[in-house]
Amino acid sequence: MSSVLTPEDIRNLRTGAHFLTCTIDPTAIYIYAEMIQRAMEDRSVELITVDELAPDDLVVAVGMVTQGLFIADMPPVGDEFLGCIRALEASLGRSVRAVYSLAAANINGIVPLMVGLQSSLPVIDSDPMGRVFPLISQTTLNIGNVPIGPIALMGVTGERAVVEVESPQRAETLVRALVTELGGWAATAMYPCSAQQLKEHGVHGTISRMIRIGQILDADTAVEKKLLMLNEFLGTTRIARARVSHIESLSRPTDLGLPAQPSSVTLDDETTGRIIRLEIQNEILLVLVDGAVTAAVPDMVTLLNSEQGTVVNTDDVQLGDVVDIVKITAAAQWYTESGLDLTEPKAFGIPIVHPRRRHA
Amino acid sequence: MRVGLRLQGTRCRAVVLDGRTVVSAAREVLAGSLPEALDSSLSGLRREFGSGITEITADVGRVLAERKLADVVAIRISPRPPADAFHMTVLPPLVEPAVTRTVHVRGGHDLRGRPLARLDLEAFLADLPGILAGDVRNVAITSVGSTASTDHETRIADAILGSDRDMRISISSDFYSSVFRDRDYTAILNSALMETGEELAAMLEEAGRRQFPAGHLSFAKNDGGRAPLARLTVAPIHGLRAGPAMGILGAATLAGIPEGEVILCTEAGAAVGHTRAGLPVARSLIRQGFDASLASNAAILEPYTVHHPVRTDVPSVIADLRERQETALPFGLVPTLPAVPDAALVGTAAAPLTAWIDRLETVTGRVDLKRVQNLAEEDAHSAAVQLGAGPGQTRIIESNVYAMPYGNPGIVRIRVQAAGETSADEERVLPAAMRGTTR
Repeated sequence: MSSVLTPEDIRNLRTGAHFLTCTIDPTAIYIYAEMIQRAMEDRSVELITVDELAPDDLVVAVGMVTQGLFIADMPPVGDEFLGCIRALEASLGRSVRAVYSLAAANINGIVPLMVGLQSSLPVIDSDPMGRVFPLISQTTLNIGNVPIGPIALMGVTGERAVVEVESPQRAETLVRALVTELGGWAATAMYPCSAQQLKEHGVHGTISRMIRIGQILDADTAVEKKLLMLNEFLGTTRIARARVSHIESLSRPTDLGLPAQPSSVTLDDETTGRIIRLEIQNEILLVLVDGAVTAAVPDMVTLLNSEQGTVVNTDDVQLGDVVDIVKITAAAQWYTESGLDLTEPKAFGIPIVHPRRRHA
Repeated sequence: MRVGLRLQGTRCRAVVLDGRTVVSAAREVLAGSLPEALDSSLSGLRREFGSGITEITADVGRVLAERKLADVVAIRISPRPPADAFHMTVLPPLVEPAVTRTVHVRGGHDLRGRPLARLDLEAFLADLPGILAGDVRNVAITSVGSTASTDHETRIADAILGSDRDMRISISSDFYSSVFRDRDYTAILNSALMETGEELAAMLEEAGRRQFPAGHLSFAKNDGGRAPLARLTVAPIHGLRAGPAMGILGAATLAGIPEGEVILCTEAGAAVGHTRAGLPVARSLIRQGFDASLASNAAILEPYTVHHPVRTDVPSVIADLRERQETALPFGLVPTLPAVPDAALVGTAAAPLTAWIDRLETVTGRVDLKRVQNLAEEDAHSAAVQLGAGPGQTRIIESNVYAMPYGNPGIVRIRVQAAGETSADEERVLPAAMRGTTR
């Protein structure tokens, strides 16, 4: 069912996108939310379900791919995504009917709304990750063998490229190299596919989910109540309320193909005496409680301020902070054999098999 | 002995500290002007304590906040200007009216310090006479990627100073944030405050020289430290909002807690901060909701809530800073420091010299990381010594490395704080655990 989004929806989506990013600095989300709210004063954006499109309508994923300078340090000029869509339309010889998010969390959870406002294209309430992963090959569309290319990229310099590529892994290598040379991020349009393909292989309801999460977290209620409501809505579990006792950077060897360095945080659960270890690389990949795997990517893990119930940024984590460690189960596709092949800890260089695979 | 001053309006309030002991309770002078109030206050202290006073530190945060901001020309360097109104940088309402003109210059760097676009100095030089012809004497320069390379900001600054050496220029790479709008906002606000900073520094210098010619004069910073007055003329931003940091430091000083939790209770409510190695725990940004943040290392002071975790293993002080103690404190808090409304002045008197190193480094592995971190610690130590600290009385307070999410492989952020005292002043107000270092 389509709906026209309101500024209040954007405020809530901002919070939801941050919650699901597993605690990366949200400044770029804030900046986009502010830009969208200003743009909404004289134009509107429509959120639709994939069912509202004709099966063969052309839809494309839009999102930022980053490796280098932060989006917030090199703000988009504003013409990048429209340039990418035009380039894909020229390459495919067809008009795009709607856009969807490359990843329904963090900056890419909110970017499609600006694209919708600028282009008047509707935004589909679906995405191919159901969260955010660092690699563009880590999508449910990839699991479903939906081609990733052609991919259009445009950076802040105004330089643009269209990559004709079939293999998602090759696409990863090529796009990553281009993004680095474009300055650190690129607006992209990729996974051009039919609405039917997105319906079959996407994760659905993920934009409205962020809005609902924001409604819960921004409500004037106690933290415990918020955690309860999140549990009812998302099936979240609180792994622990614990105090940060140690922070370590470059704590594991890493594949240079993965953006960012790994780091680790150790926490003490002062109620139970348990020791919790978080392994981080862009997001929280792994949670060990007394050495046992309690959450592992593709599970989502986020940190909440134990007093305020607000999302904690990994940049802001300090020794002595008390945080709630919250686990959210990812989309069902990620727990299949092929889903785990793409996203379990081994894909991030951590030699651990996901517990669900062990128990399968 | 050390003096802590707080300037506001036409008032000057002072406290004198000897070690951890308040030897002269806070007294306030109200005069016809701020210079008169300051001079009268220092004159009284000279009559009472003579040459026993070696350090004078002034919290000028309220004066900086209450003065009208000077007009500023904002120069933004990036590969391309915004294509539409939505993508323009939005400044917080406080500073937006101060920006009388915005100039875009093509340029900028990526995180590796490589140019994204050649600096269009020729076009800027063509615009420069028009910029200099106006009445505005303050300029803020912010470039994309200036955390990795300051080259384009400094070349534009040099071009301006080459035409007019009297211009006041603030460049964003003097303030660490990985967010363009934070640095832009900070550079603009800093530039808008420089004239007031110059006036305050001159006023304090003159009064100090007259009353305490051998004394060291400093201003209080929002990280809980102090810096020589010369820094107030170029980086007044760090003197803004020094009050919370000084409150934490003052309460911790009076309670003798170099490592612990400090709960400050005022008429506005209760707030909590922490001390580490004798100084308030600080964050590199002053966040302002969803608006741009100020890129200034500042003490963290957050609202105390009913859910605040109580720890018996961490030393804690609950300071009642209210002017009147007729009602109980909120949340059932019982003060361990009752009736200390001038704790922040004690903190101002006790503040050590502090310096920060906050920069990006490229590393190849753990050994290399250790090397660049050691180098940053040495640089922070040197920076504190350059502020006047004795080499033997300077220590590292904080030394951290941050991974850069979604950044280039091998690039990390290193952040180090050093603190020290002048050789003349061997009083260590919070000596215990001073050598503690966190990683």
